[in-house]
Amino acid sequence: MSAWSELVDYLTVADHWWGRRGIATRIGDHVQISVAATAAAVALAVPPALWLGHIRRGGAVATAAVNVGRAVPSFAIVALALPISLRYGFGLGFWPTLVALVALALPPIFTNTYAGVAGIDRAVTDAARGMGMRGHEVLWRVEAPNALPLLLTGVRTSAVQVVATATLGAFVGFGGLGAFINEGFRQQDDGKQLTGAVLVAVLAIATELLFGVGQRLLTPWTNRKGPR
Amino acid sequence: MTTRPARWLLAMLLPLAIIAAGCGSDDDDSASDTTAASGEGGGACSEATAPDDAPAITIGAQDFGESAILAEIYRQCLDAAGYDVSIQEVGGFRDLELAAFDGGDINLAPEYAASMLEALNDQAGEATADAQETADKLKGYLSDLGLVALTPSEAVDTNALVVTKETADKLDLTSLSDLADHPELVLGGPADCETNAFCLPGLKSVYGVDLSAGFTPLEPAAVAPALDAGEIDVALLFSTDSRIVTNDYVLLEDDKGMLAADNVLPVLTTELADVEGLSDLLDAISESLTTSGLTELNRRFDVDVEDADKIAESHLTDAGLL
Amino acid sequence: MRDRPFLEWDWVLDHLAEIRAATLEHLRLTVIAVVLGVVLAAALSAVALRWRRTLAPIAWVTGVIYTIPSLALFTFLVPIFGLGSTVAAEIALVGYTLLILIRNIVAGVDGVDPAVRDAADGMGYGRWHRLVAVELPLAVPAIIAGIRIAAVTTVGLVTVTGLIGLGGYGSFIDAGLKRQFPTQIVLGGGLSVIMATVIDVALVGLERLLTPWRRSPTQPLAEPEPLAGVLG
Repeated sequence: MSAWSELVDYLTVADHWWGRRGIATRIGDHVQISVAATAAAVALAVPPALWLGHIRRGGAVATAAVNVGRAVPSFAIVALALPISLRYGFGLGFWPTLVALVALALPPIFTNTYAGVAGIDRAVTDAARGMGMRGHEVLWRVEAPNALPLLLTGVRTSAVQVVATATLGAFVGFGGLGAFINEGFRQQDDGKQLTGAVLVAVLAIATELLFGVGQRLLTPWTNRKGPR
Repeated sequence: MTTRPARWLLAMLLPLAIIAAGCGSDDDDSASDTTAASGEGGGACSEATAPDDAPAITIGAQDFGESAILAEIYRQCLDAAGYDVSIQEVGGFRDLELAAFDGGDINLAPEYAASMLEALNDQAGEATADAQETADKLKGYLSDLGLVALTPSEAVDTNALVVTKETADKLDLTSLSDLADHPELVLGGPADCETNAFCLPGLKSVYGVDLSAGFTPLEPAAVAPALDAGEIDVALLFSTDSRIVTNDYVLLEDDKGMLAADNVLPVLTTELADVEGLSDLLDAISESLTTSGLTELNRRFDVDVEDADKIAESHLTDAGLL
Repeated sequence: MRDRPFLEWDWVLDHLAEIRAATLEHLRLTVIAVVLGVVLAAALSAVALRWRRTLAPIAWVTGVIYTIPSLALFTFLVPIFGLGSTVAAEIALVGYTLLILIRNIVAGVDGVDPAVRDAADGMGYGRWHRLVAVELPLAVPAIIAGIRIAAVTTVGLVTVTGLIGLGGYGSFIDAGLKRQFPTQIVLGGGLSVIMATVIDVALVGLERLLTPWRRSPTQPLAEPEPLAGVLG
């Protein structure tokens, strides 16, 4: 297939790999912004989700709001963030893209963390209280560990979506892998465009696998599978 | 208990209902058709009569304001003459437009003589500063595709390399030749600049200026804001972009003649060109277009955020065509 | 953006006809995608439930589709199907709904109490009869939870189709981005959130209608895990 050979042709030119706009640099940029966006989303979503789950209140409204937040187009956020970023000296590229990616990453992390805490059997938390634990101890020693598997699943989902969506940064001068897709499209260079798309998909799958391994290490007690 | 969700549902549906009711009376997207039909002056477009057997016309508009305005101008004029005419957006890429011609999705499009020629000859650099000469060469390539170009208008829209006034003063820049001493400058523009004969490759071959090291590919919309914010030093805009004047940019003079005759002209299928009277109407439109006029139409679109159909209508009326 | 306010109501009121047309177009693209997605996902789920060994490959393929950047997918489909092609848009949109829907359908049917299943078997139900008459109704909450996530996600994704010449809310965002006009961007994004909310609430209502024996709707809590089939 010609598309395939164009991809191979593009990937096998050494010059395409190095330099300011080379594949290596762009993979680095792509990974960097994905890590930053996922970390920021964890910092923003987990504390309120833990707290709401702990007090078991406001969850339905919060999860509905966050769920509908999925419909906010990342594309629109990038477009609105660009002029603001330029005006306040944050420049092109990284910051306007980061804002959109953080917004994208919030819903899965929030809903899963909340579900992880709120879904714990009342009997368990009541037992902890009966053992003399205070509210914050229940949260940290019972609820948070119990919510960890679901929380990590949320982070994993967000991270994969962030990796796949960071391509939108190409519209505002961000040099991640999306730049190959955009340039390939504009320059009618199929090899370049495919390079971007394939590398993003590979990176997304790698993220998924990495989180899978990390999840097993962090929550070893969930490794034993049920009968399914 | 059962009524509450129902009421909630109603409340949620309300905004959509209002939107839908907002224009409940007019069907489909014919809002722009009605404005065109209202032209009842005695211009060339409204006086012309489409032959009964004239084929339906679909105009391809590229995804920037000027192309949308030009397509609307064509559409409203032909509509007034009684043709069955509509507009199809074809994105910002010429190969998509050509594919649309090839597939019969469109049969007319506003184009630019030199850029289209270079797109068809793989950026071989055949275009010159002479509009007619360039258009004639273009016709040679078009005929293989069953297409034809009409007489070029006087309106020119080329690539424009601009810098801010401060940069121009500081580095004493007035022309593209002056860039030779400043390879460190960061050029920002749409990604196709890298392969376009009137951008990076042209700068290198005609001026010996190599700005490729710092080239920053940007969406067209982000170019001027990036220049204002100092993120890039040199910006690639279109010469009919009103911001060159309103933002006080310095247009670097093309002192060695890299740029060619990017005059606006209609490109259409030979089938359409054979329709009696149609080419005359398109020629009349071309005669009404000037570079400064086009810049003003763009200003109304970009700065006053008017709609393309309204801008087109007033242009046709002012030109006495409607 | 030249210090323009985020939303200029004059412009909005002047463009109600365009807003209405974009709303209908956006709704059309979303509904087609979700309906086709549900039909296709139901068929694939039936296969996966009937022949267990097919579940992993189905999860894998739909998971990989989920990781393809929408921008790339749309731009690749354009040369094949032409600009403004509903087919190109729907292939991409339907593709993205599959993973979410299949996981929820399979999980919903799997989650049916084994005792209920045994009871159905005891009453002499065949495999398909049991699936349709017993398991599917009981899986409705999980299935609708999946449809809610899929529908809301699709409403957001449809905006990207503005880039390939389709006229939903994305065309406002696109136009606003091109001339640095915030009103159009805010309008496109805001309307898409409103539409998502309306559809979400409507689906909650549908769930109540279909499952009158339940009090409160299931929250769409569990996220689809793109490639969990590989690891789990």
